[in-house]
Order: sequence, then C-alpha cells, then structure tokens
Amino acid sequence: MSGMARAQTQAPAAERPLLILAGIWVVLIAAPFWMPLVGGYTSLASRILVIGLAAMSLNFLIGFTGVVSFGHAAYFGLGVYGAGMILRYIAPSTPLAVIAGILLGGIVGSAVGALICRRRGIYFALVTIAFQEVFYYIAYKWDSVTGGFDGLRGFQRQPIHFGLFTLDIQKNDLAFYYFVLAVFAIVVGFMGFVLRSPFGRTLLAVRENERRARFLGIPVDRHIWLAFTISSFCIGAAGALYALLNNFADPSSLYTDLSGELVIMCVLGGMRSFWGPLLGAAVFEVLQDYISSQTVNWLFFIGLIFVLVVMFFPRGLLGVFRRRSAA
Amino acid sequence: MLQLVLFNLFNGLIIGAFYVLTALGLSMILNLSNVINFAHGNFLALGGYLAYVLIPYIGFWPALVVSPLLTAVLGFVVERTMIRRIYGRDPIYSLLLTFGLAFMIQDGCRYIWGVNGLPLTTPASISQPLSQEFFFLTGYRLFVVGIVIVAVAALFAFLRYTRMGMRIRAGVLDLDTVSALGINVRLLRSLNFAFGIFLAGLAGVLAGGQIGLNPNMGDDLLLPSFVAIIVGGMGSLVGTLLGGLLIGVAAAITTIFYASASQAVIYVIMAVVLLARPRGLLGEEGLQ
Amino acid sequence: MSMLEVRNVSKHFGSLIAVREVSLTVAKGELRAIIGPNGAGKTTFFNLITGFFPPTAGEIIFDGQNVTTVSAADRVKRGMARTFQVTEVFPELSVRENVRIAAEVAAGYALRPWLGGAEVRDIASVVEETVAVTGLAGKANRLVGELAHGDQRAAEIAMALALRPRLLLLDEPTAGMGEQETFEIAGLIRKLHRDKSYTIILVEHDMRVVFHLADRISVLDQGALLADGTPEQIAANPAVQAAYLGKAA
Repeated sequence: MSGMARAQTQAPAAERPLLILAGIWVVLIAAPFWMPLVGGYTSLASRILVIGLAAMSLNFLIGFTGVVSFGHAAYFGLGVYGAGMILRYIAPSTPLAVIAGILLGGIVGSAVGALICRRRGIYFALVTIAFQEVFYYIAYKWDSVTGGFDGLRGFQRQPIHFGLFTLDIQKNDLAFYYFVLAVFAIVVGFMGFVLRSPFGRTLLAVRENERRARFLGIPVDRHIWLAFTISSFCIGAAGALYALLNNFADPSSLYTDLSGELVIMCVLGGMRSFWGPLLGAAVFEVLQDYISSQTVNWLFFIGLIFVLVVMFFPRGLLGVFRRRSAA
Repeated sequence: MLQLVLFNLFNGLIIGAFYVLTALGLSMILNLSNVINFAHGNFLALGGYLAYVLIPYIGFWPALVVSPLLTAVLGFVVERTMIRRIYGRDPIYSLLLTFGLAFMIQDGCRYIWGVNGLPLTTPASISQPLSQEFFFLTGYRLFVVGIVIVAVAALFAFLRYTRMGMRIRAGVLDLDTVSALGINVRLLRSLNFAFGIFLAGLAGVLAGGQIGLNPNMGDDLLLPSFVAIIVGGMGSLVGTLLGGLLIGVAAAITTIFYASASQAVIYVIMAVVLLARPRGLLGEEGLQ
Repeated sequence: MSMLEVRNVSKHFGSLIAVREVSLTVAKGELRAIIGPNGAGKTTFFNLITGFFPPTAGEIIFDGQNVTTVSAADRVKRGMARTFQVTEVFPELSVRENVRIAAEVAAGYALRPWLGGAEVRDIASVVEETVAVTGLAGKANRLVGELAHGDQRAAEIAMALALRPRLLLLDEPTAGMGEQETFEIAGLIRKLHRDKSYTIILVEHDMRVVFHLADRISVLDQGALLADGTPEQIAANPAVQAAYLGKAA
C-alpha cells in the first residue's frame, strides 16, 4: 500500500477517530454482557482490562517516547504490594489502597528513572532489567512484610462507600468490573491527554529523532525521565487494581517474565497505536489461557509466539493504522 | 574462623568464576551485536545437558570440549536464521526474540530431560577433597577455577593476537568503518555470537559437574551477569571480568557476616556504581 | 549592524587544527556563503557557530552578545536555527506536526500540558505560514518520511523557520539532490533571503547555487580563511582559483 493512499485515507477523517473511540468505549462498557456469549466471564474481562492498562502504561514509554523498559513489572508489582499492604496492615479502604499503589509504583519509578535517564537503547533496557531484579529480590526476601515466596495473603478488596450508597465490589463481580473500568478510564484518559499536549509532542519528537529534538532545544534526558515517571505512576495504578482483582500479591507480579509479556502485548497489538496494547493484552491473555489448558509444555509455545511475532508480525495488529490513534 | 573465611572466599571465587564466564559471553554479544541475549542462561543449561548425553559415549574430558562446541554450533544457527534479522532495528525486537528463545529452550530441556535435577558425573580423579581440614577444596572446584582462568586467558589472547579477534574489537568500536574496510561483518557477528555461546556451554558443563543439571540452572547466573556488565562498564570485556569477580567475592564476604544479604550486596554495588560512576568501572565514555 | 561576528576563532582536535584563527562578520539581512575544498573545515566552523562544541580560542558575538560559551540549545533560544548535512526530521510524523513541535518548543511550551485558545491560534498561524512559505502546503498532512528528498529538506528548513530565527544556518542544503530539486531549494533560499529578509549562512558545494544566491562569499582552505568578498571578487581571486584548481588537479 503506497504512502500516498495511506495518508489520504487518514487525512480527512477528523470525525473518524471519535467514532472509533466511541466504539471502543461501548465495547468496554458492554463487555460483561457480550463476554459470556463468546465463552468469557466477567472476571476475565476485569483481568484483561487490568493487564491491558499495564501494557498501555508501558507503551506510553516504549511506543510514544521510543525508550524500551524491559523491567516495568517492577513498578506494576510495587503497585500490587502497595495496595496489598495498605489493606493488610493499615486500613480496609479500597480507594486508599489504589492511591498507595499508584504512589509507590510512581515514586520509585521516578527515582529509578532519574538514575538511568541518560542511557539509551539496549543499555537503558539492561539497567531496567537489573533494577527490576532488585525489587523482585526485596519482595522475595522480606518475608515478614511481603510474605516472601508465598506472597502476601489475608486481605480483601473492600466495598466502597459513597455516603448515599455503597458499591459492593467485594462480592459483586459486575460492580468490580465497572470499578476497574472507571480507574482504567481515568488513567487512560490522563495518558491520552498528555500525549495530545505540547509536552506529549516533545516525547514523539524524542522518539522520532533524538538529535533533531535536542537541536530544537528539548532537554531530552529530562523528558525521558518525565515519560518514565508518568508511565510508572500509571502502571502502578494497574498494579493496585491487580492486587484488588486477586486479593493476593506475589513476587511473580514483579518478575522479568511479566515484563516480557507486557512488552510482547505492546508489540502484538501495535506499539505505535494508543489502543494497540489493550488489544495485544486481550489476545495474549486468551491465547495463554488456551495454550496452558491444552499442554503442559505451554511455555514453549508462549516462547514461540514471541519469536513469531518478532519475525513475521513486528508492527502488530493495529500497525496498519499506526497513526492518528491517540485517544 | 580462618577456615570459615577461607571457605567463603573460595566459594566467592567459584561463584565469581561462573559469573565471569557467563557475563563475558553476554558481554561479547552485547558489544558487537547490540543484543541482550536473554537465552544465554538456557544455552548454558543446554551445554550441560549435552555433556550429560555425551559422557557415557565419549567420557568427561572430550565432552568438556565437544558439548560447548555443539552448543556454539546451535548458537551460530540461531544467529544466522533469526537474530541477524533484527540487527539495526528497535532494540525491543532483539529483547523479545531472545526472551522467546529462552522460554523455548528452557521448556525444550524440560520436555526432553525432565523437571527433576540430573547429576553430571565427573571423573573420580578430580572429585576428592584435597585435605581434611579444608574440606571445601575439592579437586573439582580447583579444576573449575583453573579451566575458567585458562578460558578467559585464551579469550583475551584470541581477541588481542588473532586477526579475527582484532576485527571483533575494531567492530565493537566502529562497525561501519570495519564494514567499509571490506570485512564481512555479518560473518564476524555470527562467529562472535557463537564464541559467546561457547563460553555459556562451557559454564554449563562446569556448573553441571558441581551442582547438577536442571532446566532453570542458568537463571541464577543470568541476572548477576547483567549486573557484572553494568558494574564493569558497558563495552569493556576487562570491565566485565572485574565486575564478575567483584560481585562474586563481595557476595561471599557478605555471607560471612550476614548470610541473607549476600545477594543484596550485588545490587547495592550496582546502585553505588551507577550513582558514583554511571559508565561503570571501565566503561566507554560514549556508550551509555 | 552585524548579526554575527566571529573573532579569531580556532578549533583544535588534539594535534589537528581544524579551524585556524578565522574572523568574519555577517551583516543583518545578508546571505553569506561559506565554500572551500573538502576537508577545509567548513562543517567544523559551522558547528562552532551553532555551539555543537566550544572553540579552542576566539570569540563568537551573536546580535551584540558574546555567545562563545553558550550551549547549543540556548543559542537556539536566542535565535539561531540550523539544518544538517544529513536531513534531520521526525519521519513518522506529518509535515504539520514536525513544524508544530518546533514552533511549540520555540515558544517555550515544551513542558506545557495544555495551551490556551490564543496560544493555540498563534502556534497554528506560525505553522501554516511556515508550511506555506516552504511550498509544502499541499503536503502538510503527509508523513515526512514518505516525502521525496527535496521535500524532506524543505520540511527541515520549515522546522528551522518555525523557531523564528534571526540567523538561519543551512549546512549543504542541496547535498545529494538532482537538478530539479536543487533548483527548487535554491529558489526557496532566495525567497527567504529576498522576500522574508532572513539573515542566512550557507555552506554549499554547488558553485552555481553559491554564486547565484550569495551577497558575500567566504572561502576556507585548510582551516584558514583564504578570501572574503563579493561573488565577483571571489571569482577573480587568484588564490581561490589556485586552491580549487590545485585540489582538483
């Protein structure tokens, strides 16, 4: 397909992205009702939404700033533990747990980002991997607080009181789904808003051509650090939701394998597209579910998916429509 | 007390030797191909398992050379068929590719040889403790240290004195210029990758003889090796060597005083180096 | 009144002297070409002016202020904009987005999460005007990476213009171009100079372009300033002829 044709199909479509956007939200809002028709269930929908949010947060960095973190499960996992420890030790409050998860993931991510934002390319990725191992190690070893290898148990997400009424997300899966969707909407809306701002465009500039960006007068290191920080706060929110989803926090939520899976979701869905990672998360989660129910050697096939995507499908499902997709 | 100190120091040396062997291979591949080889630890395990298969037929000593060679051949094939296709592209693709390969090799080993650990038989001549008092000084452990020293010396001699070694070093500094001089850079990268995998295979056989074989045996070496590269400085093999030894010995010394922090000290060293000297002990100025 | 004054600037790389005590003065509204044989130090000199690296000795005065030690980014803020020998653009963004990013950064909005209505209109008018001046109005929504080489160059110049520079530095703008593209870019530079009164410094290999466009020409040879004058003076200068013919022979 020629560049000319592609540009022309996109250019006049000022109303088209709005239509697509509306379509996406309708699908998400109606998910608990259509999921059973295709063999799914509400808590699977919640799970995909949470993992999808994590992948979209990571993609803010790798797809829109052009910086590859292969250790972002760390800030996801810190969100998980942050929320879990609030519920377990401090107070039975869901909103407080979510806020704590966001803050823990974000603040730690911001500190690590400050330390590594001068690095580029594969070296940046290498350092993110090493730092991830630090947090995995802490969660794994600090038995008395984190529960160590067995994970942190003994907490439950709590109903949310709004004064006049109470949203029982504890017992009611449907209510929990909509709670997750609400948090998802806020975080995704925030990222979309940032990407459409002048600041967001400087991130695209860094991704496209760092030298040019520098010569326009953009302090590239500072903007990479800010992107890393924003991405960490957002993925911390996803982590907090994950803790609520499972009523459980375990070290595998900040392990390398999860980081790899989040990255493949971005690529599988299309990392140049805002919504691609959500689609990638859905496809990957369903595939993983299916494969692991079919064979004990599912890990081999997961690995095969990684290899096949890289070799034959590097632009992902939404790669064709890779532009003009920021929320 | 002296015995305890020596015991731990020697342990540190052994662990450091394994870090060094693994990290040098990783570092060679990273420097010339700009690829972080997540599957390195799995090639390591594969080297051990190949030795397990070969020893009944050809004995330990030949297997010590042949199984790393076979692993290297497999590495060469993997590079030629897959990894070279992602050179020059966003680093995300090489990370995902080797990550997927890691899963595949790990599960492949599990499928063929089972989940449970397997012993790797070492010759009786090197398996005995050398002294009652210093029971930890088995012949095998000294042998491991010796082999690693020989392998590292051979590697550095190769890089320094052979034509191909000099080309590899030149390629690390400036691949375009090397290519412009009419040198076959594609082949150079393939062979360099195979050398790196050879070191992993060798580490696999040695580790198998010491702690036995299991499909995840490389995982415990992979991340400390990353840290060794960061601490030593990216782009410098000598740095990687120092980094590997440093964290191995530091972990062992910590064991004497506070055993449960022995891993943590590795990361503390990394954090201190990143704060105080971001390019690592011997890292190149430009590479970050 | 001079826009740029370079006083006895030298640049040493180790024992290599790339630029040797060069002085020159560029007046407001002037189009100055810098020429010289390969390896004469033209690009190094350019990098000294734009602050890519500091000079070993000498001073650089930009619009009355000494900028010798000012960083490249701050020189951009003070009104110097450049293009590169190898085109530097944002390939996967449209022409309009390329120019818009430059305009927003120049206006100091690089950290802004949003813009007010008036600010948006200001940026939009700069972008549309710049796109129109560079002849890219019909291609404003195309991805820059998909454009022909000449149009990518024009887009790069558009980005430089969107910085609202008082001095525009173009490093070999016609490098690697065919006849038609060279003609179009030369026409654009002429328009920027004659109609829009930009002060321009141009490093260029194509002598037809240089003698056609320049008000004054400076000739560098082996890092030193060989001659400085109007195109007619330079064409008649025996030293310049010797330098060029000597190299060619």
